[in-house]
Amino acid sequence: MVQSPIQTEINYYQEETNSLVEALEGLPNSAAEAIVDNNFITTSFLNALGFSLQERIPQFNTGHGRQQVDYALRHNSNKDNFLLSKVNPHVLVELKGRDIDLSPNSGSYKSTVKQIKRYLLAPNCKSVQWGIITNSKHIQLFRKHSKVIYPATPCLEITSDNIVQLTYQIRKKLEHTIKALTVAVYNNKGGVGKTTTVINLAAVLTRHKKKVLIVDFDPNQQDLTNSLGIEIGEESLYQCLKDRTNTLNLKDAIVSYTKKFRNNVSLSFDVLPVDKQLAQINEDDLRKEFSFYSFSKKLEPLKADYDYILIDAPPNWRFFSISAVYASDVVLIPTKHNNIFSLQNAAVTIRQYIPEVQKIRQEKTKKIEWGSTALPIFFNGEKIADAARIRATKAIKTIIKQVYQEYSFDLTPYFFPNYKSRNNTRIFELPSNAYIGYAAFDKIPAAYKNRTAYSYYTELAKEYFLQ
Amino acid sequence: MSNLSDVGNLMYLDLEIIEPGKIINISEYLVNATAQELSNTDGRNWIPLIVKETAEDEYRVIGNHFIYAVAEAAGLEKVWCIIADDSEATEKVTKMLAGEAIPKINLSTASRDEIRSAIEYVVEQPNTVLKGVKISVITNRIDEAPRQYWQDLKPVTKLKCGITKGKKLQALEKVFYLTPEKMPTEIKDSKVLNTLTVSELKKIAKKRNLSNYSRLNKSKIVDLLSN
Repeated sequence: MVQSPIQTEINYYQEETNSLVEALEGLPNSAAEAIVDNNFITTSFLNALGFSLQERIPQFNTGHGRQQVDYALRHNSNKDNFLLSKVNPHVLVELKGRDIDLSPNSGSYKSTVKQIKRYLLAPNCKSVQWGIITNSKHIQLFRKHSKVIYPATPCLEITSDNIVQLTYQIRKKLEHTIKALTVAVYNNKGGVGKTTTVINLAAVLTRHKKKVLIVDFDPNQQDLTNSLGIEIGEESLYQCLKDRTNTLNLKDAIVSYTKKFRNNVSLSFDVLPVDKQLAQINEDDLRKEFSFYSFSKKLEPLKADYDYILIDAPPNWRFFSISAVYASDVVLIPTKHNNIFSLQNAAVTIRQYIPEVQKIRQEKTKKIEWGSTALPIFFNGEKIADAARIRATKAIKTIIKQVYQEYSFDLTPYFFPNYKSRNNTRIFELPSNAYIGYAAFDKIPAAYKNRTAYSYYTELAKEYFLQ
Repeated sequence: MSNLSDVGNLMYLDLEIIEPGKIINISEYLVNATAQELSNTDGRNWIPLIVKETAEDEYRVIGNHFIYAVAEAAGLEKVWCIIADDSEATEKVTKMLAGEAIPKINLSTASRDEIRSAIEYVVEQPNTVLKGVKISVITNRIDEAPRQYWQDLKPVTKLKCGITKGKKLQALEKVFYLTPEKMPTEIKDSKVLNTLTVSELKKIAKKRNLSNYSRLNKSKIVDLLSN
């Protein structure tokens, strides 16, 4: 039998892996944290993940009060020994005993997730890219991209049959951290300012020295491409998506947008413009040549080149928007506080559409990838009077209650991210100003044209993305 | 149909990303001559290839292999395919629907007419190994035999109907399978008992708490058990 490359490499790690299975099988069913740590984690698991004793710090001080995380990990370089320097950790591991239930939906699982998220955002952990929670029965990997934390894998059950493969896959993820955060900007409802958000967010992130690619994935409107004064491609994106034999490179379809300022400074970010061909083909014909993962697959090689990839997805839930969400790590959902439909649609997106995509992503990757995660919503565009804010908050509370009663799905963290800790119903508001609306006529992002617009979008970027 | 699945869709796929799967015997002449005919038209395969998705941008043929061979011979870069789900049951039945696999019937429970038509099918095949056998004789003997207890098709060779071990029996195995019932220990029918081996008969004798059977030959044990 021909061995797959994965299999060969797994054999290479055979020694480590044998001890992994042995250690796991030797754990008593209700082993306390110290035993799990001593008999499994420190002796086998961390070795198998590729971290030597010099590359781990137990009880790492997160810098948030006196909170300590069980392990911080980082590979040593020639000049620097992590154990000695204790700076720039790469991975955090929060460990539990087997007596603590980490199966998804259990209360202790939820509190452990909160715990690791808190550590990941702590002052001494800014450099951290990954978080792991495990009790040796379950394990989950989280990715931290600057301020954004999202599940990289589902919460997986550990068995002696899958521990080797699982550890190997996690190790590969840690060793090949993907640079880009891919964000789909989506709301099933139109007119909530998706395109404006994408353009100005790109402008602001670029100004903060991030490398950004924006993708116009709305062939019917082509707003993004138009509003930057970029020529719409003839059929390059179409040809590239259609090419399933992997001969064409999406890079060739990318153009650069540059804004020169008066003081001779210039800023530029990359744009993947939409093309005419895609707009002309109807949905049914598209489905004959593309799968919903085609776009995601083509985008993959670009993820090493950018810090952020922002996708402008069309409203509705059809080929282009599904493909955009499938390709993304997180979904940013703009809403209008005075448009009840935009709020209801956000709820449907979070409760139904995104979980659908997660399900299929998990099936496709044999459960090693979680799929897309919704970020909390924000109000886009208008100045909000107190009375209107109260009305919107009330409407959202009704939606949350309805959805919980009907589907037992808790929307609270997606609408009121600070509710649980402080009963806080604040929702991020991005006010509008005249320039934001006019900017499209000038073919320049409002954030590059007007100081107020710039500060508004900087706040948005800091609220969600920048650390 | 879910938006998130291609199953059931007719798709226009690159031949290059489709694996041919298990090649069955296809005549070179038929492939090339059909490819020629196809090239004389606009090159559209109106009868689709049936494929399943094995990974992203990877497919495998599970039915209509002939069309794959023709498409290849005609130099088509893309072929029209129907995407089937990836269950084994689907693959099995698709092969049958495409006429590429022979369905089997359950000989433990089949009716006389079903048995007859299955044997007729085998006899009618070109190059059949059952040339000259009498269909009605085989049908009758098999139908009347205690086939609900057969563990395999070997007892057919003892029915004296022209089916012998080897090729002829193998020909029948292509159309019949069995889901044998457990033999009841209280069985007294000598016809059934005769189909069993001596050690099996002795087991039955033991279960009935009989004694003095250990030295008997087969016909005597059968006599003992059928009384």
